Amino acid sequence: MRRQRMKWHGLLAIGLVLVMGLADVALAAEKIVIGGMYPMTGRGGRYGIDSVAAAEIAAEEINAKGGVNGRMIDLIFTDDKSNTSYAVKVANRYIKEDKVNFLMGVVSSAVGLAVTEVSKENKIIFVGTDHASTALTMEKFQPYYFRVSNNTYQSAAAAALYAKDKKEWKKYYVIGPDYEYGHRTWEDFWMLLGKKRTDVKMVGQAWPKLYEPDYTPYITAILNAKPDVLVTTFWGGDTVAFIKQALPYKLFDKMKMFNYDGGGNYEVLEALPNTLPKGLVLSARHHNNWPDTKENKEYVKKFKAKTGRYPSYAAEGAYAGVYFIAEGVRQAGTAEDADKLVAVMEKLKFKLPEDPPGFTSYMRPIDHQVVQVQAIGETVPNKSFPPATMMLGNWKIYKAEDIIPSEAEILAARKAAKK
Amino acid sequence: MDANLVAAQLFSGLTSAMTLFLVASGLSLIFGVVNVFNFAHGSFYLIGAYFAYQVVSVTGLPFWPGVLLAAAGAGIAGVVMEYVFLRRIYGRGGEAGFQILLTYSFILIIDDVVKMIWGTDYKSIERPESLSASFTLGDISVPRYDLVVILVGILVAVGMWWLIRKTRFGRNLRAISANREMASCLGVNVPLTLSLVFGLATALGGLSGALSAPTRTVTPGAGIEVIIGSLIVVVIGGLGNFWGAFVGALIIGEVTAFGILFLPQWAILFSYAVMALVLVFRPEGLLARRGGA
Repeated sequence: MRRQRMKWHGLLAIGLVLVMGLADVALAAEKIVIGGMYPMTGRGGRYGIDSVAAAEIAAEEINAKGGVNGRMIDLIFTDDKSNTSYAVKVANRYIKEDKVNFLMGVVSSAVGLAVTEVSKENKIIFVGTDHASTALTMEKFQPYYFRVSNNTYQSAAAAALYAKDKKEWKKYYVIGPDYEYGHRTWEDFWMLLGKKRTDVKMVGQAWPKLYEPDYTPYITAILNAKPDVLVTTFWGGDTVAFIKQALPYKLFDKMKMFNYDGGGNYEVLEALPNTLPKGLVLSARHHNNWPDTKENKEYVKKFKAKTGRYPSYAAEGAYAGVYFIAEGVRQAGTAEDADKLVAVMEKLKFKLPEDPPGFTSYMRPIDHQVVQVQAIGETVPNKSFPPATMMLGNWKIYKAEDIIPSEAEILAARKAAKK
Repeated sequence: MDANLVAAQLFSGLTSAMTLFLVASGLSLIFGVVNVFNFAHGSFYLIGAYFAYQVVSVTGLPFWPGVLLAAAGAGIAGVVMEYVFLRRIYGRGGEAGFQILLTYSFILIIDDVVKMIWGTDYKSIERPESLSASFTLGDISVPRYDLVVILVGILVAVGMWWLIRKTRFGRNLRAISANREMASCLGVNVPLTLSLVFGLATALGGLSGALSAPTRTVTPGAGIEVIIGSLIVVVIGGLGNFWGAFVGALIIGEVTAFGILFLPQWAILFSYAVMALVLVFRPEGLLARRGGA
């Protein structure tokens, strides 16, 4: 009797799986499938988890309004572990087995450079949402790649405009992680500032390894060099560790700290609720309190409601990625014809939470890099986004068109790379 | 060069050295006595840091009892790992391979468990009120907290010396490290001693993590940075040698600190350069021949 019933259970289960499988196949033809890759463990974990949550919010919003041309957005995510070869495997699996229409992600620029090759080979559009290396849109550019968040050049160009006006900033010291991102962020800035000011000089540089736990020996060396301004190209936990360690040395009383790409990320502001000093000059690719628009407030509120915390900047990139894809599909009338999509997407305008009033983010055909406004601020007391007690304020805003490389610069960089 | 600057740099080198020593001494002790190379040792530093965050920042316990509890917690976690997993592979053929796989996988497991419990945000814990100030050397401020870290490191070194050289437990340790079978025949409870050593060593790692929590980033993955540093230290000092870890940590701490003063852009290379020199001229490590643990 019991055995009989178990047999039935088994058959029922098999039947159910078959029916569900059929349903899935029937629906899949209607869906727009996006294969997302983000780290969800280790150091980049916060960015990955936040990106997934924000992408889901965007998909829910779009699907609630009936999808795109009647098709629903379907997101799949895999932890890419920030590992290049693993991410390549995942991207290939997405394309061959899951039949995704788009690839989206990733946090590490190294992984981005690997996935862009998969995208090129398979002619599947890859939408970059967080990694910032300019190489992807400059010398390693391929037509099926698009980036919907700022690259390091844009942050550095805004930073150079900011520094140009700071007459008292003459002696610079730079400290940053010793890899592509750390160096490139500084070099772009220093080159651009050099074109505007002749009275600035570098009094020292230090390149500790990425994720260095202990900066104290560097701090005394920096103090000894007596710069007017210390540029740091740290991100995430490295910024947090550096600030914690520099505080008792009273470093911030003796010089300005300037971290124009990742330093103003909310995760840094939140990690040092009681100790973050006032007057650090910082920025990030998205700010929870700038611009002060309805769209940005709504976005931040929705994220908080879904996850219980405020978003770090990576989240808005993923949110933008989903909207960018949806708008592209809507205008092209297809999610399958990649060439037609490219033709539409490279001229796309799409409104984002980070767009100030009167501006809409747009894609540039020559490098498939989104063009956006950049804001740089200083830490000021502000308790509206707890647990942070400091947020950025005293904003300086830089126009999108003033902080992008010219077409001639891009072509020259590509030509040089080919040699 | 200004004398105050040299003194400040000396302090900062000593602080790094003592933090490294606490982790590396545990790693060395486990290798010397238990004969396991515990890749996951840095993860106990991580556990110590998170436990300290939990008891001090969340539960609100005072700093020092919190640090001690965190170290004890890391030690208990170490004993559990040894008792449930590691002792099953002692003496197996091809033991090194099993050890590497098993202990390496614990790095990933512990990172994930930490992430599940505390999430991926950066956690913060503040220096105790009485130590948050700095003292000055000329026009340089030096954190008072660093002095305490140095003091704790020296106390632990002396305490361990006493434990290993002057107590019955230490005699058993040395016996096991010299010849496990013989020690067992002479009535030493080997399995119990190995568990205790493992617990003591991981507690030292946890102590280092807890002490570092106010000054460093508490985040998953932090254990990996620490294990690399400790590996360099034990290679320099001599694998399995307790005092080797002390000397190795001092050398790495000070060479890095003074190297940075002169050539900050090459700082990454200093510890590797020292390791390479030691491997060329004294491959067994600086103190390796002067007796085991």
